[in-house]
This record gives sequence, C-alpha cells and structure tokens, in this order.
Amino acid sequence: MDFRFDIIQEYAPFFLRGVLLTIGVSIAAIIAGLILGLMIGLGKMSTKRLIRLPFEWYINFFRGTPLLVQMLLVHFGVMPLFFAQPSATVSLIVSLSLNSAAYVAEIFRAGIQSIDKGQMEAARSLGMTHAQAMRYIILPQALKRMIPPFGNEFIVLIKDSSLGLVIAAPELMYWGKAAAGEYYRVWEPYLTVAFIYLLLTLSLSKLLHYLERKYSNQ
Amino acid sequence: MIKVSNLKKSFGNLEVLKGINAHIREREVVVVIGPSGSGKSTFLRCLNLLEDFDEGEIIIDGINIKEKQTNINKVREEVGMVFQRFNLFPHMTVLDNITLAPIKVRKWPREKAEAKAMELLQKVGLQEKANAYPDSLSGGQAQRVAIARALAMEPKVMLFDEPTSALDPEMVGEVLAVMKQLANEGMTMVVVTHEMGFAREVGDRVLFMDGGYIVEEGTPSEIFDHPKHERTKSFLSKVL
Repeated sequence: MDFRFDIIQEYAPFFLRGVLLTIGVSIAAIIAGLILGLMIGLGKMSTKRLIRLPFEWYINFFRGTPLLVQMLLVHFGVMPLFFAQPSATVSLIVSLSLNSAAYVAEIFRAGIQSIDKGQMEAARSLGMTHAQAMRYIILPQALKRMIPPFGNEFIVLIKDSSLGLVIAAPELMYWGKAAAGEYYRVWEPYLTVAFIYLLLTLSLSKLLHYLERKYSNQ
Repeated sequence: MIKVSNLKKSFGNLEVLKGINAHIREREVVVVIGPSGSGKSTFLRCLNLLEDFDEGEIIIDGINIKEKQTNINKVREEVGMVFQRFNLFPHMTVLDNITLAPIKVRKWPREKAEAKAMELLQKVGLQEKANAYPDSLSGGQAQRVAIARALAMEPKVMLFDEPTSALDPEMVGEVLAVMKQLANEGMTMVVVTHEMGFAREVGDRVLFMDGGYIVEEGTPSEIFDHPKHERTKSFLSKVL
C-alpha cells in the first residue's frame, strides 16, 4: 500500500482552516454549555417540583436522544425559523451547546451535592445567606471536584463536533471527507483527521490535568 | 434570652420532639443530656432553624424566629453554633475560616476581622495555626478553631452540638477547657453533650431528655445526685 503524502500536503490549508473552526466551535460550545448547564443544574436542584420539572425534561431530552438528530433538528428545523439562511457553523455551536449543557448540568448538580451537608449548615449558622454560602463555601469546593468530569465532557464535545459534517459546517472532519471524496482515498485523509483530533483531545486532557493538580494543592 | 414553647417536630412518621418547653436565661449555661435518639440534637438545631419544626414557637431575644417577617440570617448572626464534626471550611486557612463571616455578613473591614480572629485564636491557644489549613489540625485543634469561628460573630448565645463526641479521648479536655472559660466569661450557652463531668461542673442547669420530652430539669446536683424520675436514674446509672 502506498501512502500519498502529497494529498495531505495539498489539503493542508483546508485542514488548517477546519481545525481552527473545530477549535473555535468547541470553545464557544464549551463556554455556552457551561453557562447554560450551570443554570439548568441550579434549576434542577430547586426544592419546588414545578420549577424542577422543565429542567429535568431538558436533561432527559438532550441526554436521551442522539446528538446527530438534535443537530439536524436545530439546523433544518429551528434555525430556519429565525434566519433565512442559517449558518451551519452557528447551528453546530448551538446544538453542541444545548447538548453539552445537559451533561454539564448533571456534573454540576452531582458536584454540589457531593459536598458534605455540614458545610452548608456551618455557613448558614454563621448568618450567611444561601447565596453567600454557595459562593464562598460550596462552589469553590465543588468546582474542584468537577474538573475531571468536565474534562471528559469537553473531550467528548470536541470529538462530537465532527458531526458538523452532516450539516456541512466546514470543520475538520468536513475537509477530511472532502479530501476523501476528491481523491477516492481513505487512509490519508481520515488518518490525518484522526491524528489532529487526537492532538486536540490530548492537549485538553493535559491542560485539565494541570488544573486539577494546581487546585488540589490548596 | 431563649424561650421555647410546645416545640414539636417529626421526621416523616417519626415524632422526635413531642412538646418541648424550655427557658434559657442570659449568661446561663444549660446542658442537655439524654440517650441517643432522645431528640436533644434536633432540639438544639431547631434553635437556629437549621432544622425546621412543625409546631410551637421559639423566641430568641424577643424575636419569634419562625414568623414571616423575621430574617433568620439576622437571628443566626447572634446565635453561634459548634458542630460535632467541626465543619471547618477545608479550602480556607484557619484565619479565613474565622474572618469570612464577620467580613461578608457583619461587613467588618478586613483589619478589624483579622484582629478579632487573632485575639480569639490566642484565646483558644492556636495563634500559630492562623495560616494553616484545617486538614493539618488535630480534632481538638479543629474544634477550638470552630469555636473561635463562631465567636468571631460576637454572638449572644452559643449552641454546642456534642462538641467532643468526634474527638479522641486525649483531646476532649482541651475543648472542654475552652468551653469552660467561655462559660466563666458569662456567655449564654446551650450544650448537648455526653460529658457528665462537664455538665456537673460547668452547667447552671441540666435538662434530661428522653423520647422527645424533657423528662426532668434542675441544677446539676439535683439531676445527678437526686434524680426524681426513673428514666433519669436508669440513664445516669448507665453513664456515670
């Protein structure tokens, strides 16, 4: 089997554009997913059943249905309601954010509930409000514990961004597929793409490992 | 100072407090004793509403703590609490543990809070631990820090929920010594404990609880030397 490096070389500028978009989309979706997920997680922890219910069903829906289906619904169903010509990149960011928010919400809830009840009681017994106790006592401890599961979630998110292919968002996988189609070759484009994803996810896990160590020293 | 009338509380079907009446006066040290499951910790936790109750009322310093217009956070500022398991904040130094509430709740400037904290640390004999993290403290040291933390809010009453029950035996003395000093300074205290020696020596009044009631109350010598009720006698015969 001959391995045609010239194909990779030829497509290098496209792979570069693709990987930049993948990184941008992932970062945007991680940030949006975190913010949305924190709100959903808080909502799900409400003591009032009626408030809890919509958040529970949000999580049920986005964790219980395939991301691919969600992405098609967002791009071809929801986005056209708001934009005449929906951008595939925006649809990709939106569907990844909505999906990861469901997982972030659960990580967030589990992290907060893992903190000993005595911490909240001690804080409240000192006259702090619930919000103050959350901010100064519970969250700083819980966030530390959330770093590893968040890391897993974000690695999954980077890989899942490759589904952008099906709505023609020009991310990394899209260009891999384009190269494969142009040259009728399998190994060169897909192995290159796989290798680049591996670099991205490994870098992220190194970064998270570093953060974890840094914060566990306190 | 604290007036409790007809306090009732259930967990599900289990009624743990079946009508408690008690009156705690200013500068008084009231010790609550009784077998486990008698409701004494629940009673104490109702006093600052860490545990909600179903019936009855609690008046602290003239304020009905369960009335709608009462801000429970304001009440808690005046009611310090020390827990069996210390509940220090593990992500903060000893100093930050003590200064956090005065700064965030009482809105003291940091210098004032730190000066107060150092004064209290000196009082409990731990000023050299100001910058240590709770992990590095022994149980007895952690509990003394917890007492300092509660005192930093300058409360009018201190509640102690079995403060020595989680300690190794050799550390019980150092915590009791701090509590004794506090009592001598005139702090109003409600102490749930199994330390009968402390109850006898430091307590102004002893409440004996069993089965969700205060079965008997009186001075330490009345309770320990001349108990009237059978249940008090049988409990004391087991623990003394």
